[in-house]
Amino acid sequence: MSAPATSPPVVARDRRRDLLGRQGRVGAVLLSLIVGTAAYGFFILPDDAGKARVGLPYERPSGANPLGTDDLGRDLLDQLLVGAGTSLTLAFIVAAVTTVLAAVIGGLAGIGPRWLSSIIMRGIDVMLVLPELVLFILAATFLGQSFGIRAAILAVILWPVPARVLRAAVLTTWSRAHVEAARAMGAGQSWLLARHASYLLGPLLVPVFVRTAMRVIIYDATLSFLGLGDPTVPSWGTTLYWVQVNGVFLSDAWLWWAGPPGVAITLTVVSLALIGTSIEDRLNPNLQESR
Amino acid sequence: MSAIQTSAPAATPAARRGRLTYLGGRILEYLGVLFVALTLNFLLPRALPGGPLKLFGSPESLARLTAEERAQIATEYGFGDPIHLQFLDYLKSVVTLDLGTSLSDGREVTAAIADALPWTLLLVGTSIVATTLIGITLGVIGGMRRREGKGAFTLIGAIVVDSIPQFWLAMLLIVWFGVKWQIAPTFGATGPDGTTVAGLAEHLVLPVATLTITGIGYIFMYTRSSMLSVLTSEPVQHAHARGIPRGRLVRRHVLRPALLPVHTLIMLDIGFLAAGAIVVETVFAYPGLGRLTFGAIAARDYPLMQGTFLVLTLMVVLMNLLADLTYPLLDPRARTGANQ
Repeated sequence: MSAPATSPPVVARDRRRDLLGRQGRVGAVLLSLIVGTAAYGFFILPDDAGKARVGLPYERPSGANPLGTDDLGRDLLDQLLVGAGTSLTLAFIVAAVTTVLAAVIGGLAGIGPRWLSSIIMRGIDVMLVLPELVLFILAATFLGQSFGIRAAILAVILWPVPARVLRAAVLTTWSRAHVEAARAMGAGQSWLLARHASYLLGPLLVPVFVRTAMRVIIYDATLSFLGLGDPTVPSWGTTLYWVQVNGVFLSDAWLWWAGPPGVAITLTVVSLALIGTSIEDRLNPNLQESR
Repeated sequence: MSAIQTSAPAATPAARRGRLTYLGGRILEYLGVLFVALTLNFLLPRALPGGPLKLFGSPESLARLTAEERAQIATEYGFGDPIHLQFLDYLKSVVTLDLGTSLSDGREVTAAIADALPWTLLLVGTSIVATTLIGITLGVIGGMRRREGKGAFTLIGAIVVDSIPQFWLAMLLIVWFGVKWQIAPTFGATGPDGTTVAGLAEHLVLPVATLTITGIGYIFMYTRSSMLSVLTSEPVQHAHARGIPRGRLVRRHVLRPALLPVHTLIMLDIGFLAAGAIVVETVFAYPGLGRLTFGAIAARDYPLMQGTFLVLTLMVVLMNLLADLTYPLLDPRARTGANQ
């Protein structure tokens, strides 16, 4: 947690450790494991893993199918491994797009002309009144469930909160003494940003990225669970959708069918949260006046 | 924040004027947001694929109509009118609470919403109270004991409960409490013997537990960090130096300022929880607004969808307004208008 920075870091290695802290390192290790799993599912497993029938329906865990099979005889472990890739790819793509959107829009609201800033802020106010989950369900129902559309919907709906946070950060940075001094000497906005503010604002994009990725994983799983996922691609949420549809929790099968995907979602989000909170803890507290 | 905060009595004319201007401005802002929300709601069925006629029938029945019949219906119901007249009609229907009839079961949309809303309010209200009490208590304790090692564990615990997907936790609760131990009902809001207090409470247990467990993490972390920043603030350190006993220090100097931002957060949460209860209401087949909304979207029931969406949005706006209006009661600085 927030250790007071009494002594300056001595060597570079220490500084890097400082950025993450013990908590963050646990999160990073966890996340690398999950990314490794996703890579295994993507590169090593055959293309139809988790989609093809490999055994009888409703088989109990065995040597051939360590987590048993689902109602169509598909391997549940394969679904879990392939699902990691689906979930993480979507999360990282959406988080990247959302971070860029939030940075550009929030930045414009912070240092752009007054009229533009007030238009953006009113727009954000309105977007924040609309219930996100309902919008997702609505958009997924009517626009379709393919990967690209899912990613676009999530990015379009998720940018306002981080944009507001980044705008606040830009405003705080712009009122700092060294930036004001540079401006008084005639520096332009883009020079200020590149030369005097980027080192303060840049690190803030990391928690924005991480937080967005967390929300994407939860929302994506929730939509798939509600039956709004792409049924042709194995994913954690889709597996859990079939659990619900087949009433699996009435039998013992929930243990190997419903348990692992839920644990996987939770662990992924926890690993991101650990990284996110420890980086936030270490950033300049002056810049954290969100909302 | 201004440097000098004179604690002027709230009744001075200048202060009162400041407060009124402030309130007036806020209310104007809300009217603006409300207007935009209504406009979006008006555009919703017109923007979705299929055109406005789908307000009156299923896609299959509409497909059987000839182009002439479509045109006739369109003129009859005013879809041929200029858009601003249609909008006025829409506003009138909202004010008179005449939101049309549901396509799937022919009920009045207003009646369907009126049936569902109390259940959601009961569910969400109970969970908000539970979440707030538990989350704030733990957060205050976590903030006070941050150095005692256990603090880190509670923080990690908060991160974990904050990360569990609601629908999965709901399933686990059903497995254990509903199927294995059979101590709580897993679906619906009332038992077979009608509406009894015991039946209501029994059916609330698992849904409320799901919402509460997944909700406390966030409130805990927020309260804890707010406590930390107030505990290290200058006024509190000064009060400590003056020798004010610890209990009184916490009660009078720490809790009030520390819980101010938490209050705002919770008010905003209430508005969104109604929409967020969609998942829980679906898993537990709870007859509330969330389930109604999800059913409406799944069945492409446009009038019902428009109605529920309107109510969900209005709830958020109302809670925002309520948060703003109650804030001055808690924060004397906002009461005197010193910050404006």
